[in-house]
Amino acid sequence: MSDFPETFVDTFVDQASIAVGDVVAPLERTITLTDMVAYAGATWDWHKLHYDTAYVAEKGLPGPIVDGQVYGALLVEMLQDWLGPQSFVHQLDFTFRNLVFAGERLRCTGTVTEVGADRISVEMKVVVVAEDGSDGRAAAAPARAVVLLGTPDGPGATR
Amino acid sequence: MSLLTDEVRALEGRTKVYTAPEPFGAASGRYFGLAIGDANPLYSDPAYARAQGLAGVTAPLTLVCETNQYAGLPMDHEGYAGHTWDLDIPNSRQVRGGNSYTFHRRIRPEDVVTATWRITSVTEKVTGSGNAMLIIGSTATYTNQDDELLAENAETIIFVSLASSGAEKQA
Repeated sequence: MSDFPETFVDTFVDQASIAVGDVVAPLERTITLTDMVAYAGATWDWHKLHYDTAYVAEKGLPGPIVDGQVYGALLVEMLQDWLGPQSFVHQLDFTFRNLVFAGERLRCTGTVTEVGADRISVEMKVVVVAEDGSDGRAAAAPARAVVLLGTPDGPGATR
Repeated sequence: MSLLTDEVRALEGRTKVYTAPEPFGAASGRYFGLAIGDANPLYSDPAYARAQGLAGVTAPLTLVCETNQYAGLPMDHEGYAGHTWDLDIPNSRQVRGGNSYTFHRRIRPEDVVTATWRITSVTEKVTGSGNAMLIIGSTATYTNQDDELLAENAETIIFVSLASSGAEKQA
């Protein structure tokens, strides 16, 4: 069963107080096969790698593979949930490291590396949570973002 | 064994353009939020979104970079119905390098998105174990019906040779 949140927690960091070294409120999510089917539908990506257990077994894989773009979506969610709606993720980069399989738990973390007048830079990573709760293998690392503060939309918004 | 043949080198500059057959729609963003477990009301509550200064609901930012919805391509034998470069690099293993997104503004339900893909670079390196590694860089630019720039996506695909020093070897 999915552990996705049903409600939105609307308490956010004070953007004016953010300093280099601040830790972003982390995000953890277990990605079940059902969640992966929902993601495949939402993105029109019906590749068998993401849901067909017989197909992936033939390929010698331990389970259906989580679509790597999920990491990007979760990183944006982590930043947006921490900073609130008056923020806009302008740039996001991430490097793929390891496959993630159905049922594994992901942990997204980040630390502020630069603070400007209207933006911050954040260094992040996505890891698989190990059985003992520690950081397991990296799913995406390094990952970086530039987030605009005090605005709900990007520089291309003209109305 | 080099993977960078003249045929592969000629891929640089290749372009593919896909325009969605309909506006993005509010349901796409709301469903994507549900699918990733993002309960942010910016994607589902117009009054909340307007109170934040937006025209209405929007979609989680990375959805615009998921181009299958625009492509209108038939499903292949593995169930995939999206953009590919149809690259067939013999005797190699394909891995994904990473993505670099730039978001220019939030998606609106009335946006009709065009995705323009282009192969920007074709380079070769040698791994520490002596295997040839072909690196394909491509970019996608997402615009709407008014030619407004919505987002850009730089993507890296890597092909690692399965052969090293004339001997077959699993990478």
